[in-house]
Amino acid sequence: MSTLRIGLVSFAHTHATSYARALLATPGVEVLATDPDHAERAGESGGPAMARELGLDYAEDLETLLAWRPDAVVICSENTRHRSYTERCAAAGAHVLCEKPLATSVADAEAMVAACEAAGVFLMVAFPVRFHPAFAALRDAVAAGDLGTVAAVSGTNNGKLPAGRAWFTDPALAGGGAMTDHTVHVADLMDALLDGVPPVGVYAQANRLLHPEAAVETGGLVSIEYANGVVATVDCSWSKPDDYPTWGGLTLHVVGSEGQADLDAFGDRVDGFTTGRGQTWLSYGEDLDALLVAELVDALRTGRRPQPDGAVGVRTTRVVEAAYASARSGQPVRLDP
Amino acid sequence: MPNPAGPPAGTTVALVGAGGIAGVHLQAWLALGADVRVYSHASAARLVAEVGGGTVVDSLEEALDGATIADVVTPTFTHADLVGSAAEAGCQVICEKPLARSVAQAHQMVAACEAAGVRLYPAHVVRFFPEYAAAHAHVAAGGVGTVAVQRFSRAGSRPERDWFADRALSGGIVADQMIHDLDIARWTAGDVTRVFAREVSTPDGEARRGVVSAQVVLTHAGGALSYVTGTWAAPGSEFRTRFEIAGTDGLVHHDSARHAALRIDGGSAGASRGLLPGGSFMESPYLTQLRELALACTGGPEPRVTARDGVEAVRLAEAAAMSLETGRAIDLEDVR
Repeated sequence: MSTLRIGLVSFAHTHATSYARALLATPGVEVLATDPDHAERAGESGGPAMARELGLDYAEDLETLLAWRPDAVVICSENTRHRSYTERCAAAGAHVLCEKPLATSVADAEAMVAACEAAGVFLMVAFPVRFHPAFAALRDAVAAGDLGTVAAVSGTNNGKLPAGRAWFTDPALAGGGAMTDHTVHVADLMDALLDGVPPVGVYAQANRLLHPEAAVETGGLVSIEYANGVVATVDCSWSKPDDYPTWGGLTLHVVGSEGQADLDAFGDRVDGFTTGRGQTWLSYGEDLDALLVAELVDALRTGRRPQPDGAVGVRTTRVVEAAYASARSGQPVRLDP
Repeated sequence: MPNPAGPPAGTTVALVGAGGIAGVHLQAWLALGADVRVYSHASAARLVAEVGGGTVVDSLEEALDGATIADVVTPTFTHADLVGSAAEAGCQVICEKPLARSVAQAHQMVAACEAAGVRLYPAHVVRFFPEYAAAHAHVAAGGVGTVAVQRFSRAGSRPERDWFADRALSGGIVADQMIHDLDIARWTAGDVTRVFAREVSTPDGEARRGVVSAQVVLTHAGGALSYVTGTWAAPGSEFRTRFEIAGTDGLVHHDSARHAALRIDGGSAGASRGLLPGGSFMESPYLTQLRELALACTGGPEPRVTARDGVEAVRLAEAAAMSLETGRAIDLEDVR
């Protein structure tokens, strides 16, 4: 088994930590990290110190990392920097796994797909929840017709206001707030359930009642119509209180002609209570980030294109872009299928 | 067994209608110690026999004549005429939700009751379900801070009576089933300014009708957002309600499938309870509702629901219907 070289680009998104752990735990994988923009994140973890803590070798800049000739890179930068990092890494011949959302505009997302195609590398988007075995079982049940014809889906992806990283609420770096951060996970699951049927209509409303000091929307509802007539609504709000026992959660309720299904992606847990600390949640579920990384590594080893790919990234970005347009206008937005 | 906290002795109720909800109301009225006259163009005798109380009368006039309260539990499209007759006869009026098929009709009913000097209360019974009442009391006391985003979900087997399936008669799932949660959303987050709705139906089969699911997004005057979804599911589906209300200082949520005081596993023979939620050991919310409304009708304190709430719920349902028809978000100001 040849050794794979995987570069970790930026620690801006805190998922870099779990991807680093998963990569380091994978046999036959060498990891080199760089966090070129960490000086901008004053007072936050990052750079060589964070690399040391994670046990990662560190490169001072992207050029040094790319000169190491990585087979692939995992990009965990701020959202609006995904495009430039993807383009530079693809041009250097590295396959790309990009943190979600793929981009903050459809134009950027399409440019990233084009750049990777031109460079002959694949583009994968970090949507870990679709690797949950329970979601795989739901997807199989839907594909087998166990629920009959799927008619409607209600999804939630609620979390706390992201802590420890100020850029999440900086529109210039994040592209938006909760609607940017949390619509795409459910949109990706819908994409997987419906096998890529495109969204054709989006209505959304957003507000800033929670954490009104934030410069971005913190509450949002996104209603999506798909080309096959299925409708879905996503609650993407950062509505979990700061001292909630966990970061948040993701649920799906699927209504079909012959039955209904409920997925709680973080339902594998023991609930408890600790005096003085309040509620305790002991998760024993799968490490979804590790499953995502396993898909990347397997694709590299077997020479196939992994899922979810750039096309999913574009379709989910299209939903978010339309959601902002709708929230601004107060009316639904039509999308070309 | 008469309930000591019920309306004054001698309170007479004209129960108009003998369909699904009438039995529940009749039981509640009897428990409250009321004298009940039951009028229906069909099956009043069967209802009285099944419940074991109440007196069958042969005409609406006979039912209303001298009655303290008229309780109208007929199909929606008949409410306006019956409420008008009840008001004219001088009865205080309780009317099953939705109050009417249109806002205009609801306004007429309110005007008729005002002109006759009688009260009109819509039977938005979900306000009396203890889980919703507890959540509302908590929210009203500031327990979650300012409400920001809330979700309400209601799913159960599709009703089998034909009039439910006729949108002209029932208003469809939004007006008939989801009006409960549209009302609760307004109860906890205040008046609404904008409504958007989507609805999907699967095709009817030979043996049964298809499944209907609708999704409504409300924007409240204070900026809060509500998601309301309702499903008329496949036959035998468990009746299930859920909600979450999230605000600046916390959240509350409830799931009827997870908060049950008792579960009995009946094995493969266990049958679905169908349309009405069951399995609670609390007082029947229908009884709580009719006691509170009956007391209000007989000089007691104002109840937790008013005629305006009934009109506004119809307005929300009508806006949702307009949204379904046009594919547009509807400004509530435009629904009159």
